[in-house]
Order: sequence, then C-alpha cells, then structure tokens
Amino acid sequence: MDARKTYKTSETVDFVVVGSGASGGIMARELSRAGHSVVVMEQGPRMAPQDFEHDELKYRLLSGITNSPITNPQTFRSDESKTAERMEGRNALTYARIVGGSSAHFNANFWRLHEIDFIEGSRWGPIPGADLVDWPITYDELEPYYTKVEWEVGVSGLAGASPFDPWRSKPYPMPPMPVKSSGVLFERGGRKLGLHPFPAPMAINSVFYKNRPPCVQCGLCGGFGCEVQAKSSSVWTVIPEAEATGKCEVRSESYVFRIGMDRGGRATGVHYYDRDRKEQFQKARAVVVCANGAETPKLLLNSATSGFEQGLANSSGVVGRYLMFNKGGGAQARFEHPLNEYKGANVTRVIHDFYDSDPKRGFYGGGGFDARSGGPLTWGQSVPKDTPAWGPGFKEYLESYTYWMNCSGHGTSLPQATNRVDIDPELKDDWGVPAIRVTYKDHPDDVKHANWQVQRAAEIMDAAGAKQIVAEPVGEARGGVHLLGTCRMGNDPQRSVIDKYHRTHDVRNLFLCDGSSMVTSGRGQPTQTIEALAFRAAEHIARFARANEI
Amino acid sequence: MEHPTPSRRKFLAATANLASAGWIAMNWPQIAAAAEHAGHAGHASSDTTAPPATLKTLTAAEAAEVDAIANQIVPGGATPGARDARVIYFIDNALGSFFAGQLPAFREGLAEFQSAYAAKNGGARFSAAPEAQQTAWLQQVDKTPFFTAVRRLTVLGLLAWPKYGGNHDNLGWKLIGVEDNHSWSPPFGYYDTDYAGFQPYPGTKPYTAEGAV
Repeated sequence: MDARKTYKTSETVDFVVVGSGASGGIMARELSRAGHSVVVMEQGPRMAPQDFEHDELKYRLLSGITNSPITNPQTFRSDESKTAERMEGRNALTYARIVGGSSAHFNANFWRLHEIDFIEGSRWGPIPGADLVDWPITYDELEPYYTKVEWEVGVSGLAGASPFDPWRSKPYPMPPMPVKSSGVLFERGGRKLGLHPFPAPMAINSVFYKNRPPCVQCGLCGGFGCEVQAKSSSVWTVIPEAEATGKCEVRSESYVFRIGMDRGGRATGVHYYDRDRKEQFQKARAVVVCANGAETPKLLLNSATSGFEQGLANSSGVVGRYLMFNKGGGAQARFEHPLNEYKGANVTRVIHDFYDSDPKRGFYGGGGFDARSGGPLTWGQSVPKDTPAWGPGFKEYLESYTYWMNCSGHGTSLPQATNRVDIDPELKDDWGVPAIRVTYKDHPDDVKHANWQVQRAAEIMDAAGAKQIVAEPVGEARGGVHLLGTCRMGNDPQRSVIDKYHRTHDVRNLFLCDGSSMVTSGRGQPTQTIEALAFRAAEHIARFARANEI
Repeated sequence: MEHPTPSRRKFLAATANLASAGWIAMNWPQIAAAAEHAGHAGHASSDTTAPPATLKTLTAAEAAEVDAIANQIVPGGATPGARDARVIYFIDNALGSFFAGQLPAFREGLAEFQSAYAAKNGGARFSAAPEAQQTAWLQQVDKTPFFTAVRRLTVLGLLAWPKYGGNHDNLGWKLIGVEDNHSWSPPFGYYDTDYAGFQPYPGTKPYTAEGAV
C-alpha cells in the first residue's frame, strides 16, 4: 500500500473513472484487473479507518462526510414555474463526498430488484403524469452480477427465506446478522398478520470474510463510515483490490468539473480541480462517469460545448430528467420493555409481501418494510403529536428512547420528465462550478402509496404488541439520498442517455454507470443494483476495449 | 495505550470471538486505534483538549437566560436535566463555531424574549423568576423561532459528544438509557433475548453457503 501507482496528467491513461463509490470502485477494479491503466477521480478526501468517528452531530448535521450545503450548495423548487432557492441548512440531494462515496456511509441494505422491476412499463401501461418504461435488460441478464456483488463485495443473508425473492444462482456467502429486538417484534407482528418477514440481506460481514472482520454491532451504520471495515464499502473492498493491480490510481480531492472533448466528438479526458484548487487536465482514452445520480448529470450539463450545446450526451434532452428518490412511509412504535435499538446493525428483518404494485389499491406503487432505528441525536429532535415538546413530559419522552423502534416502508417513485437535476442559472459552488438546481414534486401515486405504507406499518406494529404507535401522514419530498434515474438507460437514443452497455448514445468513448442509469426506482434499496450494473458494465466496457471498439 | 480502557478490552474480546487469531494479530493495532478513535466518550476522554467549560460567545447575562430556558426544556430533579449536563456550554460553543451563522438571529431573538418578559414583569429578568413563573411564560412563547432554536440546541447539547461542551459526564446519554461503548453483542434488548431462531415458511427452502438450514 505504501507504493500506490500514480500517473502523470500528461500520460494518456486508458480510463478515467469519475467517482469512487458503489459503482466507481467496482469499475476501477474490473478495468484495472482487465489490464487497463485507470485513474479514479474522487471529489472528497480519502479517510483511513481511524478517521471515522461516531459523532452524530458532525456526521448528520454538519456534513462531516457529505456534500456540504455551504461549500457545495444546491437550489430546490417544486416546479418549473418557481425560482429555485437554497434550502436552510441542507441540500436537496445528499451523497458522501469521500473515497468510497455513498457506499462508505450507507445503511448497507442490499435488496436485489425483482423480475417485475424491469418490466413495469409493459405490465402496467401508461400512467398519467409518469413515463414508466421497461428496462432494456431483464432480471435474468442481471442475476449473475447480483450474485457477483454478494460474493465479491460481501453480503450476508439467508437465501430462499422470503417466498417473494427473485430466483438466484447462489446463496449468500455469509449467514445473516444476529437479530435485534426490533427484528423480533417486526417478525412477530408480520407473522401474526400472515406476512413473511425474513432475515435482512446486508452488505455487512456477519463473519470474517475476504480479509475483513465481522460487524462489532456498534449501531451506527447509516450516515457513518465503518471503522472496523465490516461494512462492505468500496473503500474497504474493491478500491484496495483495484490498487493492488498496480494499474489503478485513486486521486482524492480531485473535483472533475468538465469532460474534455475534441472536434471529432470524442472525450479526451477530464478537467478537474486538484487539492490546491488548481485546474488540471487528465488525459484518457475513455471516460466512465460513476459520480452518482446528482453529480453525473451535473457534470454532463456543465460540459456543454460546441456540437453539444445542451450538455454532453444530451441530444435526447433527457440528461438530468426522471429524478427518483424511493418514496415510502412508516410508523414508530413504543414497546413495554427496552429494545436498545442504538445497539447493532441497523436492519435485521424485512417484509416483501407488498413488493408488487396492485391495481386493486387504486394507485401504482409497491415496496418493502424493515425494522430499524435512528441515532439518539436525530431521534430527540422531534416528538410525536400530543407529546410535549419541552418540560417534564418531554423529558419523560426522552427517557423512553430505548423503548422505540421504526417500522419503515421503502417504495417506488415514478419517473417524471419534470423531476430533474439541471444547472442553477446563478448559484456557483466554492470552486466556482455552476451548482445543481433540483426541480421535484412527488407523483400523486407516490404519495398515496407512501401513506398506504404508513397504515400497513401501523398494523404490523400493532400486531407486534406496541403500546404506542406514531403513524403520521407523509408529506411531499424535498430531496433524498437515493439519487436515481437522471441518465436513464434505454434502446432509443431519443428517450434515453445510455445504451444497455452504459455507453452514451452520443459519445462513443463516454460511459455512465451509477444510480442515474436506473430506469425505474426499484423499491428502496438501490445500491446492490448499482453495483450489479457496474460489474456488468465493466465487463462490456473491457470487451469493447479489447475489440478496439472504444 | 498500554492500559486499555474497559471499553477497548470489551471490543477486543468481541472481535476476538469472531475473527481469526492470525488476522487479529496482523490488523489489531489499526483496528483498535480506529475503534478507539471512533468511539463515543472513549474518544472524548482520550482527547487532549478538554470540552469547553467557559463562555466564549454569549455574555454571562445572556447565558444565564438561555440556561434558564434550557433547564425548563429538559428540567433537572430526580434525574439530571439540561443544566446538569452543562448544555449551556454546548450552546455557547455551537454559536461561536459551527452554528455561528445563527448567532445574529439568536441574539435578536433573545433580546426580544428578554424585553417582552421585562415589559410584563416590571423589568425583571426571566432567569431570576421562580420556576412556575418561568414555565407559565414559556407556554406563551414556545412557538417563537427563538424558543424553537433554544429547544433544538438544548437537545443537541444534551445528546452530542461531550467534547462539544454539553452531555457532561455522559449525563444526556444516561438520561435516555444509552450506554457508551464501541461494540455490542446479542442479546441487544429484551425481545431478542429468547428468540427461538428463524422458522422457514411452508414451501420455502432457505439455504446458506454450507447447504440447507
């Protein structure tokens, strides 16, 4: 590790990969293992295990490892008729801005998509206000790569436990994590209602696996880095493996702001600011953008140039459109005895009985539920309706912290062309790079489904024997952390940005692979799909490179 | 570091039960350092800088008012409250550093709070009033942005790391029942203590890398 490979900016490397997260890490490993020279560009710093802290204030409220609303601001509006404005204290679209990207701070819920997710356009037909279409690939095509994620990156779970699971070619490499009290209660309630709770598939080591230790159950996964390296984040898994090839450099604190293009319409490399905020240019034969569903469209739109006036790879006008978050609703419940949800990995049981959309409900939407918890600092900020917000009654509520759990629903967001990432006409970030403007309004069906989920969650908690249930209506989304759909994959160059191999329709040596590639939102836990897409895309990109087709 | 803290010993034991001895030997120093550093008060107590315990931003008079409000939000008594947890030092520290942007509005809100109280109470200070009178007054102003800001800061000061000034002696965590530790092992709570194990559903055949279960 002491002698990591480095490249000069003047050297033309085979690939620049923009982003080092869930997909970028895999892309880097696969392309460097295929013998290519690779430079990975990461906006944020590289943190060592000992740099991560269990500091809820810093990580959740002060953008400790995420894009900061102060240095990387965005604007938000609910529709195009309004002027977008900065939001108080936060950004609409949040991602981890460190080596490992959002895979470093995720909760590690690894749900595969199901067969239905790929074919909902033809299954349900047109939905007013939405553009729900089929993927250009099927579950069967992606299955080997889901399995590859589970074995290469490391996922624990119990194959075959859920009657609703899609088919799989192999079991999980590791047994499921130990159940928590929330999981036991959730399972009790679910079974009582005739549902089928099952052990949660998690990208966390439950046993020693691939030279990484098992989880020590510290309880702080979502929003935090895993200092024991039990969480299967790119920074602990594929990134070191990519570097071990001797062909890959991970260049941290390197913020790519424009893709270079020649007159022939080919990408020539990337313009970026180095850690001293000095402008640099890295030459490359091809560029693979894995920067996430917010930063990927931003980079393409900010790369507009002669011949690509609307932004790079945007002849369709679709770049940045169809932004989706995974809408969902749930309930909080208080029980008679302490659960101590602050201990142990976040989620241990999941229900997929309501995964498919059901026309009988009167709206489109489907999803899953899980039993989970929040950190104390976040939890203490709000109180249920009718609970005093201060005084002795509030103190009593605070003292009940260990008796609570969440039953959370995770579901679909419909793709709508009007929901989009584009560039704010005025706002620039600390580097002077034009900032993201978000335009987003939930589809009415998304809201209906989320509120339907609230009712189901309340029923599960009631059946589990909860003493108190807080089931409040879900409001309109004003941002998210699952950043999906903004450079969708498709066969038709007029309606999509990339083809089924992740090559942009417009630029032969420019590829995109991350949450932006997703055609539909899935049901709430997109990372395993993003990683499966990355393994698959990398295989094809390497094949094109071998055949001199880049 | 030659005398491991209790939490660190516990962490070592937990990890040793799960990982191979060879791996531990190879990686222990790095992992231990990471866990130590990442821990809750394990970090705060090994930090050479003591938590802020003097006022640097608010005046003593301002702090007395804010402290009185905070201690009504989370009152002391049989169990510790905001004052016992020294929340005021968190608030002072926050408004002088990471929440400095909020300071002007906070000061303005505080001045309005004080003058409104004084106008109704013959020029008296809120913090000098008896508890019952404080509570009665706060009930009239608890929808104001200023009160909301103090409430938010009070909760943060109660539950954030002690190094930020509040949560003195982990009193905030103790209040809500959170033990300060780096690692845990099952059972975590009451309901998973006697869990009988996952029972497969009819028609399903769960299996692992080792085979059928």
